[in-house]
Amino acid sequence: MEIFLQACVNGLLIGGFYSLMGMGQNIIFGVMKIINFCHGEMLMIGMYLTYVFNTYLGLDPYLSIPLVVVCMFALGALIQHTLITPSLGTKSFTNLLFLTVGLGMLFQNLALVIFSPNYRTITTSYSSKTLSLGPITMSLPKMISFIGLIIVTIALFWFLKYTSTGKKIRAVSQNPIGAEVVGINSKRIYIITYGLGCALAGIAGALLTLFYMVYPMVGASFSFKALIVVVVGGFGSIQGAFFAGIFLGLLETLSSLIVGPTYRDLTVFVTFIVILVVRQMIKMRRR
Amino acid sequence: MLKVENLSSGYGNLEIIWNASFHVDDGEVVAILGSNGAGKTTLVRTITGMVRPKSGSVIFNGEDLAGKSSRTILDHGIVQVPEGRQLFTEMSVYENLEMGAYNKETKARLGESLEFVYRWFPKLKERKNQAAGTLSGGEQQMVAVGRALIGLPKLLILDEPSLGLAPNIVDDILSVAHSMAKEQGISVLLVEQDITKALRMADRGYVVENGKITLSGTSRELEENEHVKKAYLGI
Repeated sequence: MEIFLQACVNGLLIGGFYSLMGMGQNIIFGVMKIINFCHGEMLMIGMYLTYVFNTYLGLDPYLSIPLVVVCMFALGALIQHTLITPSLGTKSFTNLLFLTVGLGMLFQNLALVIFSPNYRTITTSYSSKTLSLGPITMSLPKMISFIGLIIVTIALFWFLKYTSTGKKIRAVSQNPIGAEVVGINSKRIYIITYGLGCALAGIAGALLTLFYMVYPMVGASFSFKALIVVVVGGFGSIQGAFFAGIFLGLLETLSSLIVGPTYRDLTVFVTFIVILVVRQMIKMRRR
Repeated sequence: MLKVENLSSGYGNLEIIWNASFHVDDGEVVAILGSNGAGKTTLVRTITGMVRPKSGSVIFNGEDLAGKSSRTILDHGIVQVPEGRQLFTEMSVYENLEMGAYNKETKARLGESLEFVYRWFPKLKERKNQAAGTLSGGEQQMVAVGRALIGLPKLLILDEPSLGLAPNIVDDILSVAHSMAKEQGISVLLVEQDITKALRMADRGYVVENGKITLSGTSRELEENEHVKKAYLGI
């Protein structure tokens, strides 16, 4: 029972990361109808930024989050303005596919050149401290990250629901023509949206750095998981991505507990395929 | 108030509107009539800045707005109720109306504008927290008109408000538009396929055929025109 509870907590934590990645992807998809294939690399850049701020400036990884957010938003806005917005005009799905996949490769290789393929870690004075809540034990960094994920998720929902910019993002995502009718500058919203998506991935990276190794390919698996979250949660649906992310995290930890870590990915992908097939069958029947 | 002169526009190399000229005076209801595919919506989109004109001018209160951005044109007070309503279906009725306030002035006056809209469409007040996509077609059209009114229009453009609605609801919407012009001094440009209904509401009208304005006159004159009778009224 205790092991089970412990696995659930770990699942929620890893699920929180998947949610954050998936929600970022889905905000971008909702507004521009593109899949951001370099989303995992944005997480990787966020991790390296945190690493650099810690190693060379002595900044605490958690306190460097605002700085990471600013850098990632700026990077995202720049990519959107100079590369993606011009390509959107061509209305070619393959152009945008190659663009974001290519950007991902570019960032991976840049990281290889700058940081070498070596695994890197950050240690702080509280890295090895643990907290016990009844039967559940958690390392302090994981605990802080967990709380951080909750705060960021709530802040994101609040931003989209109540702020003027958040409403504009939803408006463009639901009806681009209607948005133009009410005078929304969609190019500006594109820049904010992509910047926001990258910033969310950056935050995920920063929150991950204390208990995950940093290396140039670290984003790949997260990219992939974010894609699953997007497909299961529904393209463009923020709430869907949130729940799908949590579900995926729980599924991963619980399946490695129940059927063993060797079959973890197998269980995850079989479940993924079953969900897709069943959903399609329900859709067919409705017609 | 609005004076369109020799306006041509279209998409890419395709020219859809040829040399259109017409005008709307203060407090007037003017109808642009024509069948499906005549180019009416393209004309609206050109006036509101969503499609760039190829040539010609759109003079509004003395200023040429041809080729300006849709936001700039909104700022001058030309607000449209687009074809197909184009609501934000997953947002509440209230949020949809709120989105109609696009600049400082309209945001500052949002409260009184909302009261104004709710007075004309009391149903919207009852349903303000409901998602717009769950409303009936007629109610959705009310939201679209309400959203435009929140933008404090000097000229209100209604693009095909009758589309897919029951006849009595079309009458309601059109009579609200008529009252806007006659009681509130908002000029109305009504773009319609349903020529009988449109001519009943409008002071004057223009007939668009294959992207050209072929006829113009007062509503009475158009109703009695032999070509209009034969081609559109089925008499």
